[in-house]
Amino acid sequence: MNAIVTIQDVVKEYSLGATVVQALRGVNLTVDKGEFISIAGPSGSGKTTLLNLIGCVDTATRGLVEVAGKNTAHMSERELTNLRLNTIGFIFQSFNLVSVLTVFQNVEFPLLLQNKLNAKDRKARVEGLLDQVGLLSHQKHRPNELSGGQRQRVAIARALVTDPLIVLADEPTANLDSETGQAILDLMKSLNQKKGTTFIFSTHDHRVMRYANAVVRIADGKVQGRETPQDAVAHEMELGLDPQKPAVAARAS
Amino acid sequence: MIDRVVLLVRLAIRNLLASPINLLIGGLILLGTMIFVLLGGMLDSLNQAMQRSVVGSLAGHLQIYSAASKDELALFGQMGNFPDLPAINDFPKIQDALSKVDNVKVVVPMGISAALITSGNIVDTTLEKLRNLYKARDGQAVLPPNAVAPRGFDPKLEGVPKEELERRIASEISHVRQIIKVLRGDVEKAMADMISAKSVEPRNVEALARVETEAFWADFEREPYANLEFLENRIAPIVTDTSLVFLRYVGTDLDKFQKSFDRMRVVKGTPVPQGQRGFLIADLMHEDQMKLKTARRLDKLKDARANGRLIATDDELKRFVKENRHQTRELVLQLDGIKTAALVTSLQGALGSKETGIDVLLSQLLDTTDENFDTRYQQFYELVVPQVQLYRVKVGDMLTIKAFTKSGYIQNVNVKVYGTFAFTGLEKSPLAGATSLMDLMSFRELFGYLTSDKAEELKEIQRDTGAKTVSRENAEAELFGEGADEVIAEATPGIIDPDAALAGTGRKLREEDLIRRVYTQQQLDDGVVLHAAVMLEDPGKLDETIAKIQQAAKDQNLGIQVVSWQKASGLLGQIINVFRALLFVAVGIIFIAAMLIMYLSVLMATLQRTQMFGTMRAIGAQRGMILSMVLIESLVLGVIFGGLGMVAGSGVLALIASKGIAAPNDVMYFFFSGPRLIPQLSTWPLVVAMVIILVVTIGSTLLPALMAMRVSPLRAMQADE
Repeated sequence: MNAIVTIQDVVKEYSLGATVVQALRGVNLTVDKGEFISIAGPSGSGKTTLLNLIGCVDTATRGLVEVAGKNTAHMSERELTNLRLNTIGFIFQSFNLVSVLTVFQNVEFPLLLQNKLNAKDRKARVEGLLDQVGLLSHQKHRPNELSGGQRQRVAIARALVTDPLIVLADEPTANLDSETGQAILDLMKSLNQKKGTTFIFSTHDHRVMRYANAVVRIADGKVQGRETPQDAVAHEMELGLDPQKPAVAARAS
Repeated sequence: MIDRVVLLVRLAIRNLLASPINLLIGGLILLGTMIFVLLGGMLDSLNQAMQRSVVGSLAGHLQIYSAASKDELALFGQMGNFPDLPAINDFPKIQDALSKVDNVKVVVPMGISAALITSGNIVDTTLEKLRNLYKARDGQAVLPPNAVAPRGFDPKLEGVPKEELERRIASEISHVRQIIKVLRGDVEKAMADMISAKSVEPRNVEALARVETEAFWADFEREPYANLEFLENRIAPIVTDTSLVFLRYVGTDLDKFQKSFDRMRVVKGTPVPQGQRGFLIADLMHEDQMKLKTARRLDKLKDARANGRLIATDDELKRFVKENRHQTRELVLQLDGIKTAALVTSLQGALGSKETGIDVLLSQLLDTTDENFDTRYQQFYELVVPQVQLYRVKVGDMLTIKAFTKSGYIQNVNVKVYGTFAFTGLEKSPLAGATSLMDLMSFRELFGYLTSDKAEELKEIQRDTGAKTVSRENAEAELFGEGADEVIAEATPGIIDPDAALAGTGRKLREEDLIRRVYTQQQLDDGVVLHAAVMLEDPGKLDETIAKIQQAAKDQNLGIQVVSWQKASGLLGQIINVFRALLFVAVGIIFIAAMLIMYLSVLMATLQRTQMFGTMRAIGAQRGMILSMVLIESLVLGVIFGGLGMVAGSGVLALIASKGIAAPNDVMYFFFSGPRLIPQLSTWPLVVAMVIILVVTIGSTLLPALMAMRVSPLRAMQADE
């Protein structure tokens, strides 16, 4: 089996006061190792919820969520945290860098949490990654001294520094202009190809979808199916979304 | 691990720098710590100084007294009252038991009390001198063999030539006339004022008028004894020279006391010879209460001037000079004719004055300024002092001390004053200098407790008379009940008149015998004491030793309680605790403010940073890491500013210590245990400050930190806006 993420009949319910909202209603999904996969769907469709389950920051109400061969349903908070630390890298829509730490320290942070490498090895690893994302010369800077694209590249370096099996990216280009967004996607894609790291990202943007191996369309808490990027873009067009204003569409979510 | 801690500390410092309110919190922590360390150190030094004073002057490290006592032992008085302590009857047993307790060096028996003593009024003493002179002149001074000496017999007048006696009589008469003149002046002054005039008794005015006439004194030559009687009965009572001195004293084993309280030294005179009866007056008491007031004021002026104060500018010193100029009465009353004449001549020479009135001359002498003070001071001591009695009680005098015994009658003892004493460094402290010392035998006698020699005497009498001991419970039955026919003792009233038997020489001989008598250590120990000072080898183990003594007292049924020097000193010992409580309140307020502000600011910072915590959690930080991150942030703040506060407090303390704090007045000498307090940094304020800082920081941060810990990693996925 090459599956790195297996999701079967997953239901996720939130209770909002007295009413119960079903965010996911029986989702099935398999992601294989090395895939570069996009999860698409309008806002409120459940794509972030699905991403949260895969990222082990949340657990399913019912059904099976298996990440890197481990069933998350029976794991403790501590075990989930360790799973995240060692298996998953996160890239956030608004970068989420620690503002008081330098670029270098932000990237080094997960390594310190892992506590596996000595200072010298950590330095080599962090610098290697900063080199790959083209920010080696900025390692002493603070996040607020960087542009949005640079920040997201730092975030990518941070996500990859522990050599995770999976990188989750929640609308990674939503806060970037389209040119920078493309550069980021190029970087992600090249890392995916070089290292074989599985990338799973959510997006609205059909230009982003084009980079994916496959697009998982989700609507009303259900997976509608896997499509090729071309089909997905066509699908988007049908739905009448303006492809020229992806950022605005994302903001509206 | 270390890397992670470094990261946390680095994160903490950076986060702290990000928010200016942390400076305010840090400032408060710094201020609170500084005050605490500074004042704590000073209080500690003050406490140690006071301990040295209290321990070294009277209390010893511990005091024991009867467990049955309702009053608490207050060696320095409790609101002016003295504790009523039940007697400890078996001191040797207690001493024996306590000396076996670890860390106990010596046990000094004591009994604290106070008495009013009077020195006879000046008219009485002058008239008595005059009477003795007449008696000597008339041949009564030569005592026939075996005769009972009459009251006032003065052996010094034996063999003095008659002409000399006549000369002295003339001098004393002029002294009496001088006193009368002073009294007349007093009455006239009183009459001049409407209100005080009412208090002047007409019969006094009449008596004074009579003794002022030449006719009275012409008659005096012929009938000295009758006229002396008139003076004694009518004039002496007019003198309101109430020279009462309130004397606090401790009856103690003087040798042991001197050895144990090593700051004690004899100032005037000598120590009481070993094992003998005697009295040592506290030197400050002697100077303050028993010295001529004029001389005392001159001494104080000299002292003040030596400390840089000037008569010209200092109100208190001005007042001293004014009082000296106006209150020459005390001096004039002491001067007889011969002395007056001599003093007038010498003062005229010294002052270059043509005045003839002694009071005017004295007033001129004592009109001191900053320019002439040193000369006048010297002149006073060279010319005036030899003619007068400088101290009301002198070294070598017999002091009569009256006291109410436990059973309620008045007892008095005569003790010889061997000298005065002071405690090194506490010479000027009214507290340390308020208590005089009396031998234990006189003390026991004074309070009607059985002394060892009296006990022996009693036993002897019992044996001689065949008297048997009748217990209180059975007294009635034994004496008046069935079978009371047996004659226990027959008394014939009037056969022995103890007063007559002990009058005159007999009394005197007994007195002299008592003075010379040397008591053995066993005799000193055997008998009643009221309390005792316990000196320790290692004062650091005070509490431990208290516990051990308490245990020993319980085990061996000693019937005593034990208190620390601090408790034994009564209210005085509590002062430091009051100061300390105030310090804690003040610092408490500062830290509570710091804590509140810190709580709010950390809470705000936590709420603002939920996304960061969420992100860290998502990336793989455990909850504990987030908790320690927030806590370390506050701890770093507390440690940095608290540390700065400690350094600042210690620095200021060191600065103060380099000069020391001068005692602002004599009372403070006791608290400072000398003229200056050199505050020293002690460990406890630092340790306590650290603990307070930890409590404050962790206390104020724990709740927000727990909140931060519970932030879900989901929060990282949510957009910031």
